[in-house]
Amino acid sequence: MKKTVTLLLVLTMVVSLFAACGKKNGSSETGTKDPVATSGAKEPDKQDPGNKEPEKQDPVKIKIYYSDNATLPFKEDWLVIKEAEKRFNVDFDFEVIPIADYQTKVSLTLNTGNNAPDVILYQSTQGENASLALNGALVPISDYAEYTPNFNARVEEFGLTGAINRLNLADGKRYYMPGLFDVPFYDGGLILREDFLEAEGLAVPKTFDDLYNILKAYKAKNPDSYPLTILAGPRVLYRMTMPSFGVSLGKNGAGGTNTLSWDYEKGEYFEGAISDGYKQYISYLAKLYNEGLLDPEMADPIDGDKWSQKMASGKSMATYAYYDQIGGVSASTEIEGFKLQMYPSLEGPAGAHHQQKNRTGSGIMFPAATAQRKDFERVVRTIDEVFFSEEGAKLWCLGVEGVTYTEENGVIKYSDELVNSAEGVYKTLQVKYGCGSDVTQLVWVNEREMTKYDENYARINKEVAAMGDVIQQIPPTPLFDDMKAEDAGVLQTPLFDTFSVWADAFITGKKSVDNDWDAYVNEMKTLKIDEFCKIYNDNLN
Amino acid sequence: MKKYRTKGNIIFDAIIYIIMIFVLLVCLVPFIYMLAVSLSDPKAIVNNKVSLIPIGINFEAYKQIFRYPNFFRAYGNTIFYTGVGTLISLIMTTLFAYPLSKPNLWGQKIAMKIVVFSMFFSGGLIPNYLLISNLGLTGTRFAMLLPFAISQFNLIILINFFKSLPSEIEEAALIDGLSYFGVLRKIIVPLSKAALATVGLYTAVFFWNDWFNGLIYLDTKQYPVMLFLRNIVNGTTMVGDAAGSADKATIAISIKSAVIITSTLPIIILYPFLQKYFVKGLTVGSVKG
Repeated sequence: MKKTVTLLLVLTMVVSLFAACGKKNGSSETGTKDPVATSGAKEPDKQDPGNKEPEKQDPVKIKIYYSDNATLPFKEDWLVIKEAEKRFNVDFDFEVIPIADYQTKVSLTLNTGNNAPDVILYQSTQGENASLALNGALVPISDYAEYTPNFNARVEEFGLTGAINRLNLADGKRYYMPGLFDVPFYDGGLILREDFLEAEGLAVPKTFDDLYNILKAYKAKNPDSYPLTILAGPRVLYRMTMPSFGVSLGKNGAGGTNTLSWDYEKGEYFEGAISDGYKQYISYLAKLYNEGLLDPEMADPIDGDKWSQKMASGKSMATYAYYDQIGGVSASTEIEGFKLQMYPSLEGPAGAHHQQKNRTGSGIMFPAATAQRKDFERVVRTIDEVFFSEEGAKLWCLGVEGVTYTEENGVIKYSDELVNSAEGVYKTLQVKYGCGSDVTQLVWVNEREMTKYDENYARINKEVAAMGDVIQQIPPTPLFDDMKAEDAGVLQTPLFDTFSVWADAFITGKKSVDNDWDAYVNEMKTLKIDEFCKIYNDNLN
Repeated sequence: MKKYRTKGNIIFDAIIYIIMIFVLLVCLVPFIYMLAVSLSDPKAIVNNKVSLIPIGINFEAYKQIFRYPNFFRAYGNTIFYTGVGTLISLIMTTLFAYPLSKPNLWGQKIAMKIVVFSMFFSGGLIPNYLLISNLGLTGTRFAMLLPFAISQFNLIILINFFKSLPSEIEEAALIDGLSYFGVLRKIIVPLSKAALATVGLYTAVFFWNDWFNGLIYLDTKQYPVMLFLRNIVNGTTMVGDAAGSADKATIAISIKSAVIITSTLPIIILYPFLQKYFVKGLTVGSVKG
């Protein structure tokens, strides 16, 4: 008797729980409009006392999600933000969310539709966002092209029309306004000790064999060193070097398939994980590992401090990392004559290539609730002007003319304070004034950017640009609907797991590339890598 | 006293001391290391010279985190959440636990079952989020305070403690004319200091450490310091998937250490003061109940 009563009770509770959820879902849609409406209504009295000059129109109030990186902590009173608010007659209400949890917060707000901001920065419609968009959580901004004249103009100017169209989802609509690049940057790559090359009379490395010889020479001099190390995780090494072997695989492989790669000539995906290019690549790494030239700790993420330690103490002499980081190491080493230099991509069997990059980046999306605002058109027009107009783009990149820089005949001169700052123009502009944060800067003109860096960096970028097709485009994302995405996902996970296990075994020598390659290929085939590849190729548009 | 000093006892004591010292070191050394790193010259850290003693003492790391725009505000928020949250929680838990400690209360058993059920099964993230936001709590500080007012675990500790108190005292108080609330306020609560201190400490630590609820329910200005800490310590390593800026950005370990030290120290300092209650409160409930 007692048991039945308990059981009944539990049942009622479970049922009522579900019922409650259903009801909440229903009411939440109407609930979302309220906060937006009220925030719009409140804004005038909040603004009036501060603004003495009478304005034709009250500033438009926009609540905006900002992804905050601890190395560049957000400040509400950054010069560029104050200036943007003033110039474009807008009152931003920034929600500053730590980058590590940004996706969680965005996902929660879009999934529930509750408490959505008007604008979300630093997002794209990859992964979960794509299905959220297709299910109506986002505004299809491509439908409102007439509200975004500045964005359209920049796209045309940079010749990005095709690239932008490729961001459309399965329903043919685009759900965000991406950041735009006129030329992709070579911001990281092979970095090694120039002083060692000079001391040994070694030539600048051009191919992977050259690199091998340099590492070998260093190892001979410093037997207990591991000359090549990496920063962050092996992914940095992989994505920066694999393209020279014609593949891009693994956790951050271009295209996000983990095991497929893009054939740039044929314009289709192929089974990169079992291709010859990959075989050559993994053999090369296995050779480095075997001879003690590759840091065995690289399997774990190596954080910035450890990495600096390795480089500064001479435990390593070469690395794949980003240019910004060189300075910190050079400043703290005790080795005399220590000099790090970045080099253009090395040539492999498939030519000299760097990590693939798109000329579009993360950008701005509007949650569905924003479209319910009465002044939706004004919101979109303002955002378009703030971030994509020439005036706005310059502001986010260079700061305020007369304060941070002056321009004469198209030549940009930074203020003395910036030029003489210890951290350099780029970093000081970021931290002190808020310029050049990749969250808020959405228009990137290579030439303008280069003015912030030293001549060396600009020179390397020029060299890389002169080499031609070093930075290839990221392959197109197929247009999956939910079902197809599910199918692909089911195949993708075991393939990637197997790939990772084998990659590890090949590099560390637990398996030999020469003898065990066929077994590996067979295993991947059993896991239907061909079918996985076919799903991708069949859904390209 | 002397008769306990047998050979076996001495060896046993020695082993216990060795184990305890080992445990102590395991807990203490990382903390001391962090303290040393946070006070050292960055150059010494990069060259791997710092162990347990700071090298080239400088306070630059601390200066820098104090310059972070929102550090003090976040710190103040956390102190507020911990203080007010613990207070609300203690009041609510006591009010709930006292009636449930009376076996003769009608429906007491079913109420207990509901409590225990919800301890193991909860609605999950999205239903909870919808609930809180439809209650209009998101973006208000109450979202941090109210949903966590009663924790089942603490409630059960308190119930057991209340049960262990002799009922004669309450009966006497009732006969002398106190109401039920009077009994609770004037007799039970003063007798339960140990248990309340224990539960209070648990709750305070919970509120101090909580970052996730702050993240999802609150606005930027209301974020607790733990979210700030997390962003500094983890922010640059967690986002590796998003290639680019995150890989480029690194934060000096001295700053990470300094943030860890400053944001955990206050709650650690609380322990020694509450320890005497803590041990008593944990055991009393179970021994007599």
